[in-house]
Amino acid sequence: MADKGVDRGRGRRPGVVNKQRGNSAQRFYVVLALIAVVGALVLIRAARTPKFTPVATTAPIIPAQAEGYLLGNPNAPVQVMEFADFECPACGNFSVITEPDVRTRIVNTGLASYRFFDFPLPMHKNTMAASNAAACAADQGKFWEMHDALFRNQPDWNTEATSEPKKIFLGYVKTLGLNTDAWEKCFDEQLHQNRILANQAEGSRRKVQSTPTFVIGTRMIPGALSYDQFKAYVDSATKEAASAPAAHADSTAAKSRTQ
Amino acid sequence: MTRRQALALLAVVGILIALYLTLYKIGVIGVLSCSIGSCETVNTSKWSMLLGIPIAEWGLAAYIALFGLAIAGSAEAREQSITIARLLVALAGFSVLVSAWLTYLELFVIHAICIWCLTSALLWVVILAVSVADLRAVSRGA
Repeated sequence: MADKGVDRGRGRRPGVVNKQRGNSAQRFYVVLALIAVVGALVLIRAARTPKFTPVATTAPIIPAQAEGYLLGNPNAPVQVMEFADFECPACGNFSVITEPDVRTRIVNTGLASYRFFDFPLPMHKNTMAASNAAACAADQGKFWEMHDALFRNQPDWNTEATSEPKKIFLGYVKTLGLNTDAWEKCFDEQLHQNRILANQAEGSRRKVQSTPTFVIGTRMIPGALSYDQFKAYVDSATKEAASAPAAHADSTAAKSRTQ
Repeated sequence: MTRRQALALLAVVGILIALYLTLYKIGVIGVLSCSIGSCETVNTSKWSMLLGIPIAEWGLAAYIALFGLAIAGSAEAREQSITIARLLVALAGFSVLVSAWLTYLELFVIHAICIWCLTSALLWVVILAVSVADLRAVSRGA
């Protein structure tokens, strides 16, 4: 078929060949445009498809029995909880891609408070160590810095990468300027194991089945949300809190119990 | 349709696949449609990045380069260009090697299969076959 175009002019009048060639090129560009348009439509549809189905919890707000790690104003109108496993790739993606925007535009502006709850999954061999690493960093006021370092560098210390994650964690301890001896003592003795298990138990109590799972206001949403989805849930929770002051009062009471 | 035009069409299909995986990687698409295998395991593994850039983006760049070459080589004046024919074979050959390496990683290191990545690998094999046929035809004509 290619030779038709190459064999131009042989035994034919040039005008006829040019016309045929023009028609063929036209057809080609039409097919090309068609494939591109159909492909683009499929991609747009994939991008717009709702990624996760929200699950409404039965009770408006269940008082927390574990504290998690707080970010932002505890009296913000909306309470957000994240149940995550430090070794889960989707949690890592959320933390690296979406969470910076959530912090800047939702938590720092006072729209919502944010609590991180460890929800270590049994198939991840290094996740409990990572939870301990973060808990020990929390002792020195750098939980979120360690949280970010762990998620950002997940492929360097996960089960596939190493069986001795502590060596890698020590690098983050130094980078973050933590007291290495204190951190090591805390990590080796697993001083915060109970706190981590309490966070995990809180997730089990709420029937968390996958990570990450978010509780935003009265809704429980499994899966890594995009910023726009996250903001939409916070906005609806804000409206709900405003229109149901009683429920909000419950949540405030619950918060005060957990402080 | 000439071979170069066929290559341009294959490049567009490749661009769409690579774009789909890139959009997933940067979080625009939440869940990959993956009837066979485990696309998310592959696309969130440490092997899904090269020099800090997602593999899907490297693939996207390669397909765009292929598209540019194929379209440029389809113009009447460059139909017999041996340079373009050689560049097409070089690009396709290199991409087949990279795809073979990535498929090896999927099968024996990550232990998960990404059907979109496999499709892209097969696409490069077809592209290489068409590019080689194009180079032979152009060499004969020269």
